[in-house]
Amino acid sequence: MSISAASIPVIETRRLVLRGPEPQDYPDFKATFASYRSRFMGGPLNAYETWMLYAAEIGHWAIRGYGMWMIHERDTQETCGMAGGWFPAKWPEREIAWIIWPEKTGKGYALEATHAVRKYLYEKLGWDGAVSYIDPKNLDSIRLAERLGAAKDPNAANIDGNDAVYRHPSPERLKSGQIRDGIELEISHYCDPLFKPKGFPVD
Amino acid sequence: MTTLPASSAAPSGVPSGVPVLETAELVLRGYRETDFEPFAAFSASPRASFVGGPQSRWDAWRAFLAAIGHWSLRGYGMWIAEHRATGQVAGRIGVMFNDGWHEPELAWHIYDGFEGRGLAYQAALAARDHAAQHWGMVRPMSYISPDNVRSVRLAKRLGCALEREVAVLGRPCQLWRHPTGGED
Repeated sequence: MSISAASIPVIETRRLVLRGPEPQDYPDFKATFASYRSRFMGGPLNAYETWMLYAAEIGHWAIRGYGMWMIHERDTQETCGMAGGWFPAKWPEREIAWIIWPEKTGKGYALEATHAVRKYLYEKLGWDGAVSYIDPKNLDSIRLAERLGAAKDPNAANIDGNDAVYRHPSPERLKSGQIRDGIELEISHYCDPLFKPKGFPVD
Repeated sequence: MTTLPASSAAPSGVPSGVPVLETAELVLRGYRETDFEPFAAFSASPRASFVGGPQSRWDAWRAFLAAIGHWSLRGYGMWIAEHRATGQVAGRIGVMFNDGWHEPELAWHIYDGFEGRGLAYQAALAARDHAAQHWGMVRPMSYISPDNVRSVRLAKRLGCALEREVAVLGRPCQLWRHPTGGED
């Protein structure tokens, strides 16, 4: 039986490999969704809720033909979060979403992964745009949306009145250069920092 | 819109390999997006009160996707039971093993209008046989709420015996043990 994540397309970036969510990744997902880190993603969740959400991540691929990829560090193969497209029934628009495990933050992974999945959704699946629904208190995610070139759209319908809608640049605008170049420059600085700390000062 | 049918075109980790079982009146098969409306209607109804409901539409959506994803995560799951004569969804049947479960559970949900016709019985026999032969599940269990009189009656008809009282998701529940699959 071909019941596996094997047929979900793999996306490779400089530091990351994005694959379909697989059974062995569940404990990493569970750890983050049991934690305070998930407070803007409907969590923290108990074991049953976490399981249902993880299984739903895979079911989403089946029903929609796209979904959330599991992000792996290329060097360690460890998972570090998820990014992808998300479209529950009766949502206003298709969303680009991301979450990074709390111990993997600060490395620009969300930027690198989300930039790659957005490119995939636009170029391979023909999306003509997307939004991200973000809790107004989730300042890190709002910052990321802005770094990705998204802007708050006060006129767009939101999900339940408690979220802000950030509209991503259209495929045409993203191709035009400045936004894309800025994102790729920022990613390259994460990959090859201009200044590397050589250790901490000893007093 | 890039929505793809769940059956063939989806480029994904999808349960395209869900086996199809046939009974006298039912086809047990994998999921289609059009199955969501009957699924959501059941989930929102008082009929779902013995299986963790009634649920909001969002919870039903998540559960619907999770039912599909379960096949990928476990290699088995619950089928859609389609009533062959009408093409309608009569319910769901199969094996569920969620986080927090004691062991894999043979579960059945019968939708409004399909009760009292022996459909759950024939579906449960087919699912139990398949689970024994293909998934190595000999003598599976079923969780049943003690107030769910009809389900208890079906369990007895299936040859189950009450094994012990347990709690599932914080609710008291009975664990019924099936006889060996395939003996009927």
